[in-house]
Amino acid sequence: MWQIIKNEWQFLGRSRMLLGISFAFLLILVLAVFLGSQQKQKQSEAYQTAQKHLRQQWENIDAMNPHSAAHYGTYVFKPTSLLSSLDEGVNSITGNVLRVEGHVQNEIVHSEASQMQAISKFGKLKSSLLLQYIVPLLLIFLAFHSVSSEKQSGRLKLLVLQGAKPFQLVLAKTLSVWVYGIALLAVVVLVYGLMNLQYLNGEVLGRTAFFFLSYALYYFVVSGLTVFFSARWQNATVALTSMLGIWILWTVFLPNMLMSSVEKWHPLPSRNEFQAAMKEDRSKGIDGHNPSDERGKALEKATLAKYGVDSISQLEINFDGLRMQADEEYGNQVWDKHFGNLREVLGKQKQTYQIGGLLNPFISLQNASMGFTGSDNLHHQAFLVQVEHYRRGFIKTLNDEHAFGGSKTGDWGWKANNDFFKSVPDYQYQPAALATVLPNYIYDLGLLFFWAIGISFFLFFGAKKMSIA
Amino acid sequence: MENFYAMLKATNISKSYGNSHALKDLNLTVQSGEIYSLLGANGAGKSTTINMFLGFTEPDSGTVTIAEKDATKQAAETRKFIGYIPENVNLYPYLSGIENLDYFCRLAGLKYSTGELQDFLTTCGLQSEAHKKKVSGYSKGMRQKVGIAIAYAKKAKVYLLDEPASGLDPLASNELSELLRKLAKEGASILMATHDIFRAREVCDRIGILKQGNLVKELKSEEVTANELEQLYLEYMKN
Repeated sequence: MWQIIKNEWQFLGRSRMLLGISFAFLLILVLAVFLGSQQKQKQSEAYQTAQKHLRQQWENIDAMNPHSAAHYGTYVFKPTSLLSSLDEGVNSITGNVLRVEGHVQNEIVHSEASQMQAISKFGKLKSSLLLQYIVPLLLIFLAFHSVSSEKQSGRLKLLVLQGAKPFQLVLAKTLSVWVYGIALLAVVVLVYGLMNLQYLNGEVLGRTAFFFLSYALYYFVVSGLTVFFSARWQNATVALTSMLGIWILWTVFLPNMLMSSVEKWHPLPSRNEFQAAMKEDRSKGIDGHNPSDERGKALEKATLAKYGVDSISQLEINFDGLRMQADEEYGNQVWDKHFGNLREVLGKQKQTYQIGGLLNPFISLQNASMGFTGSDNLHHQAFLVQVEHYRRGFIKTLNDEHAFGGSKTGDWGWKANNDFFKSVPDYQYQPAALATVLPNYIYDLGLLFFWAIGISFFLFFGAKKMSIA
Repeated sequence: MENFYAMLKATNISKSYGNSHALKDLNLTVQSGEIYSLLGANGAGKSTTINMFLGFTEPDSGTVTIAEKDATKQAAETRKFIGYIPENVNLYPYLSGIENLDYFCRLAGLKYSTGELQDFLTTCGLQSEAHKKKVSGYSKGMRQKVGIAIAYAKKAKVYLLDEPASGLDPLASNELSELLRKLAKEGASILMATHDIFRAREVCDRIGILKQGNLVKELKSEEVTANELEQLYLEYMKN
């Protein structure tokens, strides 16, 4: 079998046209990796500068009422993961900047972000565009006549007479085309690694290994299926047409059809519905800005009892701060409830979409690729949750200062000093560890393995039935 | 080679494709050291017969053996003895003659030195200047020679040739005839399907005329002149 693979590679090595195409494509790949890496670096620098600037602004607050500071708020940035320039995933849609402000939580849906799976990659020169769409096309063009040309030329008889077994032959043809795809993939990963040498660590290498594995499996599926068609049909054109049809079906039609169906099966509420529901639930809580609010009165009563005084004016603390924190906490519960529901729906959508990998390995590849590069919606949701946790701590710190910092109720003119603002911790992004997120993508990897094994069976039984005479 | 009693034998073989009978009760034997030519028009069943000996086509009835081994059921074994030269030997055009020979030999599990490979090519009539040239620049005759060298290097005991001289110039055709005689002298059994009556008469020991799947006549080539053979062939074709 090794002899056949070697011979196929000699063909690749000696065909000027193929060498030219390969070289040009490699240049484009390297360019895409370089541009992606540069863009990521620039974006990172811009975020760091902006984050630093915002923090400086925050720390330079000379004196300000804490509640005003809560509305003044800040912004947090999601540092783009090192690998996200290989696959941008949903980042271009969700963005990487979130506002942190009192009473206001960030939404996850009701934007294009809800279309978390079927994201069109066309239009930009991205590594993922080349790796997911163009490399498989190249593999198809390399493989479609690999066996049929042997048949049409009559060499197949000669090969079999010399002792080559049909299964060996189709497997060797598959592997030689597959190795070509792997070589292109390896160049991308290698160039990327070299450009980001200083940032490489176990986490990045682990994610890269799974990223590589996902593509390697998908390329095997594409190469194997094309060789199978090439062996199955007498005419190479039929093999090419069949495979191009499948490529279009897998990459264009099925993902969009499936996503539309998934959205119908597990619908998300509309923005109006969501906001109305939130508003209704919120109205049952405490209005932090409205002292005459009934539930505010109940809190006042409880607080007066706790401190053993008769009126707010006798309190040593600022009741406004307590009321606002109570309002905030109620708002948090409302947000948790509704956001939880949305996450549940999104989770169902994700699971159903993943099952689509049974019909279409491209879906599994896209999921795994975005997942392992940390650019999918699950990673974005994790970021949102982190930011929300930070926001809650941030607002509580400000409300606590408002309540216990030394002011009295109604003293809206009271200001916390600069030391306080400096003491409020800055947001620190904690990237999701591979070990934590891996279970989310095991299904996708499993399906890719399933496809690869299935294709091997196809090749085995296809070779047995291959007409040689 | 002398100890090897190579023999091609077809016993009562029939083959149909739908309603069309490709072969009807064909009986055929080729002894060791013998060259046998199957003459016949297109569709007479020549290629089907060869494909049966190659083990690629199974007869509907009857048996096909090579050295007493069933060519269908024991194809993996019988193929080890077979050298096959089709009408067009399509080699890998991006490889040289010697690289093609090396590749096909390695597939058969044979590793030869460059010198040995060159000897095989030279023995089969390919001039040494051509050995390292890419096959894309070879004539049909040169490719046939490499094809024969592949079978020769495999130490084939049986040579199956399907229209080998078709499209060859007279010189190349002559060289092929000489080569076949040489191989037969070394003990090989050679079965050749051809349209070329004169070449068949010149190079073969025995000739069989196939018509619509029937072996209508078998004769020794020494029994007839080329013209007589042509007359005989035409008569059978007309009737």
